[in-house]
Amino acid sequence: MATVKVKGFSVIRDVLGASLVEVEVGPPETVKGTLDALLRTYGEPLRKVLVDPATGEMTPFLLVLNGEAISSTLDTDRPVKTGDEITLIFPIGGG
Amino acid sequence: MTNGFKYGGYKGQLLRVNLTKKGVTKEPLREDWARDFVGGVGYSARLLYEEIPAKIDALGPQNTLFFMTGPVNGTMIPAASRSTACAKSPLTGSFFHSIFGGFWGPELKFAGYDGLIVEGKADKPVYLWIDDDRVEIRSAEHLWGKNPFKAQEIIRQEIGDENIHIATIGEAGEKGIPYAIILLDIRAAGRGGMGAVMGSKNLKAIAVRGTGTVSVPNMLRVYNTTVRLNELVATNPAVKGLSDYGTPRNVLSMNAAGILPTRNWQTEVFKGAEGISGETMKEQVVKAHRACFACSINCTKYSVVPGGKYKSIINGPDYETIYGFGSICEVDDIKALCKVDEVCDEYGIDLIQASMSVAWAMECYQKGIFTKADTGGLDLTWGNADAMIHLTEMIGKQQGLGALLAKGTREAAKIIGKGSERFVISNKGVDWPGHTCRPFPGAAVGYATGPRGGSHHDIRPTPEKAGLVDRKVLEGKGGMAAEVNHWLMLADSAVVCHLGEPIWGPMKISDNLVEALNAVTGWELDYAQARKIAERQWNMIRCFAAREGFTRNEDTLPIRFMEEPVPEGPMKGALISKETLEGLKDQYYEYRGWDKKTGNPSKAKLAELGLEFAAKDVC
Repeated sequence: MATVKVKGFSVIRDVLGASLVEVEVGPPETVKGTLDALLRTYGEPLRKVLVDPATGEMTPFLLVLNGEAISSTLDTDRPVKTGDEITLIFPIGGG
Repeated sequence: MTNGFKYGGYKGQLLRVNLTKKGVTKEPLREDWARDFVGGVGYSARLLYEEIPAKIDALGPQNTLFFMTGPVNGTMIPAASRSTACAKSPLTGSFFHSIFGGFWGPELKFAGYDGLIVEGKADKPVYLWIDDDRVEIRSAEHLWGKNPFKAQEIIRQEIGDENIHIATIGEAGEKGIPYAIILLDIRAAGRGGMGAVMGSKNLKAIAVRGTGTVSVPNMLRVYNTTVRLNELVATNPAVKGLSDYGTPRNVLSMNAAGILPTRNWQTEVFKGAEGISGETMKEQVVKAHRACFACSINCTKYSVVPGGKYKSIINGPDYETIYGFGSICEVDDIKALCKVDEVCDEYGIDLIQASMSVAWAMECYQKGIFTKADTGGLDLTWGNADAMIHLTEMIGKQQGLGALLAKGTREAAKIIGKGSERFVISNKGVDWPGHTCRPFPGAAVGYATGPRGGSHHDIRPTPEKAGLVDRKVLEGKGGMAAEVNHWLMLADSAVVCHLGEPIWGPMKISDNLVEALNAVTGWELDYAQARKIAERQWNMIRCFAAREGFTRNEDTLPIRFMEEPVPEGPMKGALISKETLEGLKDQYYEYRGWDKKTGNPSKAKLAELGLEFAAKDVC
């Protein structure tokens, strides 16, 4: 079990209730494990922000793990440990 | 269908106004061009290829300004508010399509026209009054010199109708600043200098009142399609946040990811991002939300700074203001950004181009190329909000250093030299929007090859940014960019808003976009047919550019993106070297069936797309 810090902005921050929260992850102690833990903890409101109901899958987005940009779909097996920080980069479109 | 036109969604008629001859005529929309090029940018490219002679002066009377809608405009299909203003651009020297939302486009259709062709030049300032069938060319001498909003107010009083929709230019358009905009009520056709083309014709405004409707072949099908698409808009995660925060919803996310362009792209991390974020904006200045015609996204914010030196009332700021005048100039005060946004609208200048001009000047000041003797005493230190606003006003007035910056950064750097070319963040004369490509090779080749240069609407960084594909892989990115080109092109021909990106794209033309077109027109296009239309449109625009003398040499990136890696943050080290770019371009041309040496369409490709007529100009 790892305690991972998670940061989010705009509508994600609105759901998390703060710009930085901590979640208990694992097993598995991975990026995917972190995202699953977040969805378990924050339930339907977060699911509405991250999961595309048309596909039932999480919409792909960028993550920053300890200062490194990674992908929510391509890097799901990356390990995490206590003290790590993951930033959810909201699915980006428009502008 | 309307006027006996074969396909649904169209009015079947174009309005043509010749300002030299003071002539107004109505002509049928060509059915073959509608089927082959749809509307919006596609139809415009075909018509203007026919009507604008090669190598003419973009600000001369031979240029033609063409406002065009698409078949879905005026229906209930979501995000179908947009229309195009196209002409030869004074900024790029080639075909340009500037796209705008709001209500003006649908209103033109309700008045009975799919598009408006403006040619020639009036001998004195005029405005057009289109009242359904009745079209008048009216004097605008009393409006000349007025800011766009004031001109709109006077016209509404003259017509006696508060609900008409009006396209106007400001002082920048009147004076031919090559990045002057057209303001359509509160929305802008912002890029490529379409306002300057309008001003060169002595055309101050176009007011429209339409009382008609748009017919479709199967109302129930359009209704059901609309219900389904609106559900996607309401629930898709990538659209969320636009109602609450507008396009600046992503400022802090982008900064955390190390892709918020800062200090004229010297870096992509901004320490002051919190002060200009969507969250701060919502808390401090946003008073209400506004939506365009038939749009459930609701992204426009109505913001008020009630007092103080930044007192202002604007629709915005949108992300591009926050990027251009905020992080790019290192200004961290949202209220200052509201003020400078208002200044840009009042003069009628493209705020991306204006902000990049200010940033270019700030970097010249930082590097000692400019001193206070050059700036009229302004201290152009990064982050000086007051100087930034003042210099933007000087651009609008073409005063002092502002007169140089009003030419655009590419031209300004040619005049100043001394290495300032390295600070120009531009392609084909069009300065960069706030979406990086240094970490994203697919986006990089899309920007480089895009007909509008620095436009994030010829390519999107989304597939690589969101992780739909591996951003670090080069292989296949030429083809990926071409397919992103295609959905954007078809969307701009239908015409629907790119903020519906996850629904209309984002990797290629989606079934949703094809279904929206089919439901409205009665066509039964499959994906391959829709893709072929988009490919034809893209090639048509490339032919226009080739006829003007463009080759692969014009398909490039700013020097900074090719030689200066991102210095910090999660994307540290990201760069698209010249060698990498040339390899990506080869991939792209090959995928498109273009000649790799010239970068232009081959005879075989033109024949395949039914564009043989252009071969004599291109091959």
